[in-house]
Amino acid sequence: MKKKLAALVMAGLMIFSLAACSGEGTTREDAGAAATATTAAAKPAKDVYSGETPIRIAYVAHDLSTPNNQAWLEGIEREIEPWEHVTVQAFNGESSAETQVSIMTSVIDEGYDAIILQCSDGTALAESVTQAEAAGIPVVTLNLDCTSTHSALVMAVDYDAGRMIADQIAAEIGGSGKVVIIEGVQGLTRTDNMERGFVETIENNYSGIEIIDKQSAQFEKATAQTVMNSFLQNYDQIDAVFAINDAMAEGAALACESAGKNDIVIWGADGEKAALEMIENGQMTGTIYTNSWDQGSTAAKIALLMAGSEYSSSVLSKTPEVIMEPVIVTAETVSSIDEKDRW
Amino acid sequence: MKKLSVKDLSKPIILVAFFLILTILRPSSFLTVGNLGNVLWSVSIYGVMVSGTIFVFLLGGIDLSIGTLCGLTGVTCVMTIRAFGYTPAGVIAGIAAALAVGLIAGLIHGLIITTFRVPAFLVTFATQTIYLGLSMILTNNKILDCTSPALFTSIGKNPVPIILMAVAALISWYVLRKTETGRYVYAVGGNDQAAAISGISVRKITIMAYMISGFTTAIGGIILSSMTQQGMASNGSGYEQYVIMAGVIGGISLLGGEGTVPGAIFGAMIIGLLQNGLNLMSVPSTQHGLVRGLVIIAAVGFDALQRDTKFQSWLAKRRQARAAGKSAA
Repeated sequence: MKKKLAALVMAGLMIFSLAACSGEGTTREDAGAAATATTAAAKPAKDVYSGETPIRIAYVAHDLSTPNNQAWLEGIEREIEPWEHVTVQAFNGESSAETQVSIMTSVIDEGYDAIILQCSDGTALAESVTQAEAAGIPVVTLNLDCTSTHSALVMAVDYDAGRMIADQIAAEIGGSGKVVIIEGVQGLTRTDNMERGFVETIENNYSGIEIIDKQSAQFEKATAQTVMNSFLQNYDQIDAVFAINDAMAEGAALACESAGKNDIVIWGADGEKAALEMIENGQMTGTIYTNSWDQGSTAAKIALLMAGSEYSSSVLSKTPEVIMEPVIVTAETVSSIDEKDRW
Repeated sequence: MKKLSVKDLSKPIILVAFFLILTILRPSSFLTVGNLGNVLWSVSIYGVMVSGTIFVFLLGGIDLSIGTLCGLTGVTCVMTIRAFGYTPAGVIAGIAAALAVGLIAGLIHGLIITTFRVPAFLVTFATQTIYLGLSMILTNNKILDCTSPALFTSIGKNPVPIILMAVAALISWYVLRKTETGRYVYAVGGNDQAAAISGISVRKITIMAYMISGFTTAIGGIILSSMTQQGMASNGSGYEQYVIMAGVIGGISLLGGEGTVPGAIFGAMIIGLLQNGLNLMSVPSTQHGLVRGLVIIAAVGFDALQRDTKFQSWLAKRRQARAAGKSAA
């Protein structure tokens, strides 16, 4: 009985509330809701290009001492060069998430206008990125993503790069043979995805190809030489090597050269200058090239766009991505990469 | 002649155990000339560097800058060779320049530490970042290729690095064991005040130790740049960890006064054999850290137990008791 009474009271209240929501009342409520949503999504837009106020971009690198990080920085500098009032300050994350978190705190406190970031650890940096965005500082990540939603991610292809390299290697070794992988540091989204793209493509499309081993060389050329030497000792037959970055592919190539194994197909990824030269000399087979200057420049363009806009990442459910064009480089195509575009 | 005890033989026993285990697990690939050459080649830089840095360790000092100094000297060598147009004369000039940089860096460390009485940890921690910064400025963070001449590239190819490691270790061992300077190093490391009272110039010995450390680091830098055929700012960064690890595994006390060159080379060999074993057995790289840590603890623990007098006397008593029990039965 009590339940029936309660149901009747509830039904009455619902009818009353529906009546109250009709006509003018409804319009006002909707307008109010829209206004609230707009307030939540908006942030104060900055006058980026007039030159009246200085605009400061912070570039928080994963490790500034690597050529790729330097190329990104130069790309950012090239983009902002025409505007004297726009400056970039580079910070060295020293491959440490803790260092990057500390840098991010200082950068937010100092009120930079935009941040370009490579996350050494996407989860550890998530809170800092959210704080920056909440403070109205747009964050654009470069290759190394963050788990929290932010203004944009500018990245070189990862999964597809692995897939492309798998297809290339398969074609070069005639669809059958034995392959080894030289890994970098595990836990980095980009390189993990690249390896996954490579492995899944081989497993799904090329039953004649066997991945016989994979070992880490920590992204280092000298370590890759040691790892490749171990592979050569351990296996009588190796037809191809896929190294997750060019430095390790170069190391593998030097090891194969020293061992007199010049018929092994060796692929890297990134497209750094030294690798392109080794491809020209026939020491390496190929790489996936990304114009890192262009990538840095794109990140700077987006950072300035976001700083000058009311648009806030809080309306996003997922970080928007800009994917850089991948170029497959082999001995036949390497000459198409101009000297000025080699980093 | 001194009788060898288990204590003296514990390190060779550990090495033989490593060899046996890896030979059983990987019979076709481990015990081959090529693979053992690979192991020695892979640890040759650490071996060369620890042969010099041991002087610093024996004084109770530390040199945290050797990793980035290795990079800076490599960059110096490559830049000089490029400036000389990749000629053999350029290689000689490059090697001389790199060695000079290493010696000067060591001199600076020694002078700062002895003049201002600043802890070596702080001084070399600061210079670590200075050397990386200098390398970054010199190279503008670019990779400087150096694929010729053959005189340069052959330095990093087998067996040259292994020979250099052997020569560095032999010289270092000779100086420490057979010369007055070596005895002074142990004396200062054991008790610097007593050494000073006995007339040893602690300042001179300290400066010399850091210069030797800088010199062998420069040799390591030259080998590394030749192995990779390039000069790059971040090359060598982190090597100080391996050199310190090689020394500590080899029984060097970081408090000073204790340790030998063969011990340090043993430490470097353990690092190389471990990595080689993990690679040959295709252990997933995610498990490398765990396995490496456990094996190092086991090896160092075994070595320490052989030196522990309490443990040895307990072991002897047990043996006596067992023997007494048997004879009674």
